[in-house]
This record gives sequence, structure tokens and C-alpha cells, in this order.
Amino acid sequence: MNSAVQTLLIGLRTTISNIRANKQTFLISVMTIAISVGILGVFLIVFFNLNGLLASWNQHVQVVVYLGDDISPSQKSDLKDLFKANAKIQSTEEVSKERAWQEFKLQQRDSADLDLGFNPLPASYRIRFNTSENRSLHISEFAEQIRGEPGVESVEYGEKWIVRFEKFMIVCRVFLLGVGVLLSLGLILIVSNTIRLSIYSRQDEIELMLLIGATPRFVKIPFLLEGVLQGLSGSLLSLGLMGAIYIYLKNEFQPSLESIARGMDFQFISQPFLWTLVGLSVLIGFVASYISTYQFMQALNKR
Amino acid sequence: MIQLFNVVKNYGSGKPALNDVSLKIDKGEFVFLTGPSGAGKTTILKILFGWERFDEGQVLVQGINVGKLDAGNIHTLRRSTGVIFQDYKLLPNKTVFENVAFAQEVTNHDRKKIKFKTWEALKNVGLTPKKDSFPAQLSGGEQQRVAIARAMVNTPPIILADEPTGNLDQEISAEILKLFEEMNQNGATIVFATHSQDILRPGKHRVIVLNRGEVVSS
Ligand SMILES: Nc1ncnc2c1ncn2[C@@H]1O[C@H](COP(=O)(O)OP(=O)(O)OP(=O)(O)O)[C@@H](O)[C@H]1O
Ligand SMILES: [Mg+2]
Repeated sequence: MNSAVQTLLIGLRTTISNIRANKQTFLISVMTIAISVGILGVFLIVFFNLNGLLASWNQHVQVVVYLGDDISPSQKSDLKDLFKANAKIQSTEEVSKERAWQEFKLQQRDSADLDLGFNPLPASYRIRFNTSENRSLHISEFAEQIRGEPGVESVEYGEKWIVRFEKFMIVCRVFLLGVGVLLSLGLILIVSNTIRLSIYSRQDEIELMLLIGATPRFVKIPFLLEGVLQGLSGSLLSLGLMGAIYIYLKNEFQPSLESIARGMDFQFISQPFLWTLVGLSVLIGFVASYISTYQFMQALNKR
Repeated sequence: MIQLFNVVKNYGSGKPALNDVSLKIDKGEFVFLTGPSGAGKTTILKILFGWERFDEGQVLVQGINVGKLDAGNIHTLRRSTGVIFQDYKLLPNKTVFENVAFAQEVTNHDRKKIKFKTWEALKNVGLTPKKDSFPAQLSGGEQQRVAIARAMVNTPPIILADEPTGNLDQEISAEILKLFEEMNQNGATIVFATHSQDILRPGKHRVIVLNRGEVVSS
């Protein structure tokens, strides 16, 4: 067998006996990781679902360019050229005065016999944009650009609150990042403390190992493994539990959710983020135990 | 093989523990290191396998410049050295067998070989019947023999023994001495610190006498 693998296996044996000897601190550490990952996970779920909501709203956002009744054919074709030149535009739809009136009458069905004797509604272009990162920015830029064009009476686009909601989502992202960083730092402190306890319970043994020719790496491996194991079991425990709760809630409430907002789907944390969370916890465990073993070795060498 | 050039060691306060010590021990030699308590015997041994640093001078062991080693590579020196500590340093929560096997586990990964060599070493010191006992269940002399078994189990080219017969009666001391002489005949260089005149008396081996950190005769 490969000697690096053997070193790891021997290390793992020590790790397991360390965990057995300090069961309680290990469990507390794992629980803390699980709770932190849980907090982050719940935030992520909320974030993803808001994001999904935003995306589905965004699909309906369009810019409507109202035309003056006196617009000339050449002004019209200038406008069309402008639309064509804009790569962000997905589609344009021309709505004549007549069609606008038909649609309006259709909406006001109870007063279908409405007849003013003239058509008060302007002709317009309905413009849809490609989905992209800065879609709302493109939309507002385009609206500003088109507003001053000759023949354009006014420009209306997306409800303002969608823009505000998008800004809120950016704040959410920053908030999530902040929470993630804070929790990570806290976890590093807690895990490194657990590992330190583990190291000190084996202090004599470690010193002897070094005196009889063990490499520093050989001495460190069991503790690094312990940290990694804490990160792994904490995150898996947490995500497993959340997954189970998610499936339960989805089965219970998805139908009523769909009746509130059509097409809305209650989402779990997306796969890449799931693996990121597990990876992050493992990394935290590793970094924390690395810090502890490093400090211990430094102290040992200073003497 | 082992050379000290004008080595000075200060533990901080007071007189230096070693004051301008120069020594040469050849490959395959068996030397006694003796002198009154506090003379610096343990200090020399500790310097020889990099447990203690020294303040002045130079130390060469098997061509390795000991003063230049750091935490990252000191194991290269220690792997060629078997040490019997004055206070044994047995692990209390491991059995006799595990204590001896431990010295191999940190350097050698072949489990079958470890079992075999551990058994062999325990046989050499006559402790096979006690292999499953814990150190606390052993007499001082038995603990000492476990420490010897642990030092010899890797068949290192150098054995540093700090009072390995300190706790043994004359009869067992003689047996232990024979063990070291056997290791010596198999090629190991032995540095044997002791203040027992009984052991020195036969005069078979070179004796280095230390006093107050200085070499009195060698
Ligand atoms: N860790 C230490 N810190 C401070 N002083 C020390 C330390 N170790 C040894 N000394 C001092 O250095 C001197 C030499 O000690 P050393 O242990 O080498 O003597 P020794 O010859 O082995 O004695 P013994 O026969 O009692 O074992 C003594 O004066 C001792 O007090
Ligand atoms: Mg001593």
C-alpha cells in the first residue's frame, strides 16, 4: 500500500481514539458547525427563493414606448433602427392605436359598450429585454436614451419597485456574505479550541513521538483529520436535516404555494452551493486545526 | 561519528552546564559517560539528538551538523539514534508491547514487521511475560527494560543511554550491560551515562569523566 495512504490511515486511528477520548467536546464542536451551517443554509434558501421570485417577475418586465399621434414614418423608422442597434433587446412589438383600444376594451369587459367617439390611446412599442446580470440597468439606460427621441411621447418601464427589489437582493447578497464570513471566523475559533484540547490531552505522547524521530507532519495529521472530520460531519448533519425538513415542507405546502403564486416553486439550496457549504466547513475544520497544531509546534520549538 | 568541538551550554542562570566540552567518539565505540550528579551527562546526551540546543561550539553526529537542524528535519538525526531517557518516558496508557511498538509506528508502517521486531526486542530484555502490562504495573527495573527495548527496536546505529541501570540491582545491571555490549558487537555506537562505579569497574570500555560541565578525563 502507498505509504502516504498508510500514514493517513495510522493518523485516522489516532483521530478516532482522540474523538473517543474527548467525545463531548467533539460533539459540541460538530453541533456548533451544524447550527452555523443551518443558519447560513436557511438564509440561502430564503435568498434563492426570493431570487426565483424576482426572476419570474423580471420576465414580465417590459419597456413601453408611447408614440405621439403626430409621429412621422421617418421618425418611426429611426426608432426601429435604434431598437435594432441595441443588442440587449430581445423583441419589439408594435401596438397600434386600434389594438391598444381593443385590448383596453377587453380589460374593461363590464363596460364593453364604452364608446367615446374617438380613440384616446396612443400607439406604442412593447420592448422585452434579454435576461442578463444588469438587466434593470440596461432597461433604465435604454429608457433614458429613448425618452428624448422625436416622436416619443413618454416611456414607461417596469414597476419601480422591481428595481428597488433588485437593490434589496444586492443588499441580501452582501448580508449573506457578511454572515458567512462572521460564522466562519467564529467556527474557526471554536474548532481550533477543540483541537487544542485534543492536542493537549496527547502532549506527552507528541513530545515523545518527536523525540524518537517522528516527522512534524506525522504528528500533525491526526489533528488535521479531526478538524476536517468535524467540518464534514457538522455540515452533512445540518444539510441532511435541512433536506429532510425541506422535503417534508414541500410535500405539505407546495400545492397551496402554487395557488398563491402560479408557477412558483419552493427551492432548496442549489447543488453548487450545497457542495460549497460542505467544502467551506471542511476548509474551516482544516484551517482551525492547522492553526492549533501550528501554534503547538511553535511553542514546542521555542522551549 | 560523534564529535563535539568547544561546546558551551547555558541553561540561563548561573554557571554553564557545559563549559568548552570537546569529545570524539568513533563509530562502533562503547563509551561510558560518568561524573557526579549535575556534571552535565544528561545535557550532553540531549544535545546529541537535538533535544537541547547549545550556545557555542559545533556538534557533528554521523556527519550531520546538529546545530544547523531545525524542527523540519531534526527527525533525520533522531531516527538514527535510540535513546533511553533517564525518566524512561513510557506512555502510561499504552501496554508494554504498545510502548515498544510505538517507536516503530512513528517511523515504519509495516505492521507485521512491527509485531515481529517488538516481540524480538521484548525477548531480548526478558519482558515477554509482561507484554500486556501497563507501565504503572511494573517495577522500576522492568520499566527501565521497556525503555531499553524501545530504544533498540529500530536497531539504530547510535544508542544514547541515560542511567539505564539506575534502578537495577547488581545482577540485573550486569545483564543489561551485556545487552548493550551485544548491540555494540552488532555495530551500534553506545554512549552510556552512569554514575555507578560497579559498572565501570571491569574497565572494558573507555570512560569519559565529567565534572561541573567540563571533561576531566577521556
Ligand atoms: N532544563 C534545565 N534547566 C535549567 N538547568 C538545567 C536543566 N537541565 C539541567 N540543568 C542544570 O545543568 C547542569 C547539568 O545537568 P545534567 O542533567 O546534565 O546533569 P547530570 O550529569 O545528568 O546529572 P544526574 O547524574 O543527576 O542526572 C545541572 O547543574 C542542572 O541543574
Ligand atoms: Mg542526568
